[in-house]
Amino acid sequence: MTGRYLLAKDHLVPLLRKIAKSNRLVAPVLNEYGDTLFSHITDLDSAAIDLAHQPQNSLKSFFFPQTEKLSTYLVEKSPKTGNVRYNFYPHTVENQPTAYVGVRSCDMFAVMYTDMTFLHNGERDNYYQKRRDNAFFITLACNHPFPNCFCNATRSGPFLELGYDLQLTDLGDRYFVETGRSRGMKIVEQMGQFFKPASEADRREQFQLALEARGLFQRNVHVELASKILQEQDEPVGIISELSSRCQDCAGCAYVCPTCTCFNIADLPLDEESGERIRSWDACTFAGFSKMAGDHNPVQCESQRVRKRFLHKLLHDVAKHGRPSCVGCGRCVDICFGGVDIISFVDRVVKTIDHCRDVD
Amino acid sequence: MAGIEFQKQERQNKHQVGPFRQENIYLPHPAIIREIITENETVSTFVLEFEDALYRQEFTYKPGQFLMVSIPHQGEAPISISSASALTTTFALTVRKAGKLTGAMHGLSMGDVVGIRGPYGRPFPMGDLEGKNLVFVAGGIGMAPLHSALFSCLEHRQKYGAITVLYGSRNPDEICFSEEMKSFEQDENVKCLLTVDEAGDNWQGHVGLVTELLDMISIDPGTSKALVCGPGIMIRFVIARLESLGMQAPDIITTLERHMKCGVGICGHCHFDEKLICSDGPVFTRDELTNLENI
Repeated sequence: MTGRYLLAKDHLVPLLRKIAKSNRLVAPVLNEYGDTLFSHITDLDSAAIDLAHQPQNSLKSFFFPQTEKLSTYLVEKSPKTGNVRYNFYPHTVENQPTAYVGVRSCDMFAVMYTDMTFLHNGERDNYYQKRRDNAFFITLACNHPFPNCFCNATRSGPFLELGYDLQLTDLGDRYFVETGRSRGMKIVEQMGQFFKPASEADRREQFQLALEARGLFQRNVHVELASKILQEQDEPVGIISELSSRCQDCAGCAYVCPTCTCFNIADLPLDEESGERIRSWDACTFAGFSKMAGDHNPVQCESQRVRKRFLHKLLHDVAKHGRPSCVGCGRCVDICFGGVDIISFVDRVVKTIDHCRDVD
Repeated sequence: MAGIEFQKQERQNKHQVGPFRQENIYLPHPAIIREIITENETVSTFVLEFEDALYRQEFTYKPGQFLMVSIPHQGEAPISISSASALTTTFALTVRKAGKLTGAMHGLSMGDVVGIRGPYGRPFPMGDLEGKNLVFVAGGIGMAPLHSALFSCLEHRQKYGAITVLYGSRNPDEICFSEEMKSFEQDENVKCLLTVDEAGDNWQGHVGLVTELLDMISIDPGTSKALVCGPGIMIRFVIARLESLGMQAPDIITTLERHMKCGVGICGHCHFDEKLICSDGPVFTRDELTNLENI
């Protein structure tokens, strides 16, 4: 059952301190360079928790690290027969309950999406699962969307209706707290001294903020229309080719994207007899992503480099899961210096139909 | 020696290494190379068997499925199983020396141990083939997965109608399974036609594209199924020719190849439009493939 409570703002840090006794804490922290990043907090007193800005990273790397060791291997040569043995010893993922604090709806939706990829696709990825099983989420509703945000258009915000353990809404001097999944309820029960029941007036205030937030988006991105056009019309080869030619192959978009989870697996020899099997982030925009043995590449990089990225998010995943796998966080807009972000693509696709209408 | 250090560090994890190790989908199982059959200068067939007796007993696969093969220091690559799903504990991979990993694989010897995960992927719809006339159309190393299906059919020969094999190679030296192909000449169970792009001095057979062989046989579209595998461009042309001969899309079956890292639908490398080659395929019927351009 969803419960509604109030948490005084100056009770947040004491609450986190209490939670940190049995959990690792991850929250947006302002660093000395002025960047806000989701970070592990080891010392609550010195960490500058920043709930006012959008973290530049998503939670992706906490469940799916940029590089991670899957196993160690040994290549042993039998002195007797000269035969080679290739043996693997799996790496164990460290296992620690973690509270993710200040997570906005886009990033929470992204975690739910990556769950589908890693856990619900037939095979379960045990490295991801161990981290995921230990996670609980204290999310923060977005009262004020940031300049490049468009989660309203991807149906992933700005307020959450599911997925969170506790959702906080900033009501000025206090947080309105909703309990979602069971772990959130447990926190309220175990740490009842921090919470008091919310009144009907508080609930109305929160409801009003949620309504207002929807009107505060600065970007008007027609994601659903673009998906519909992609379904109904021929592939926009010209747009894909134009944006591909501007792509500099840096993979920044895929790395900051909270739902991009393509990876590479490679052996990293340490010496002749041993090495590590490493998994690392990959990106479909990289020239070598689809390259097969003998350098055969079925993807034409010059004209199709960004094809998979945009069609996967806006066409194929809509067909498969009923929603795009873009969560509208706007990070690719911030990072791409070539303007090859998902908003450029959506805008161009939508324009094709506007153009048709003009001709009609 | 770093090797020893790691042995110490990681041995504690060894209890996780059960006979099936299903809890970690990325962990390969040791398999011994029992035999290496040289098919030609660039292609060899590796006959393998799992080291673990339990796994050896439990391991089964179907024609059209593939394995993720680990070669020392080279990582992994998806390789089609070329043997029939017979009741032996061994299985075979027919591999062309094409890149780094396959090159290193060709440097291995009998008795060496490699890592194997799988089998993965959707197999050929063997049940649907029963009672049908079968046309196998292969190009180059594309013969490997078809070989698995073909010899599975031959094990239960009475279940199928006429079986025809059309096989194109670059030149006579590049023909794989040449002994078996030769034996089909005397075999009334199989009609086999070979073609090469460039004939050598000793080549008496057909010279030209494998699509030309389709004109030398008669196909009854209503009772036939075609299984096609080879380079992308060859698959495209063969499918077009089969369609022009009146074959229906669901009766044309192909198996596709893509770069893969996980083999189980997670890593994203083998996206082919809305499909994943590894888990939705690699076997597809023509009607499941809307766009043949980038195969």
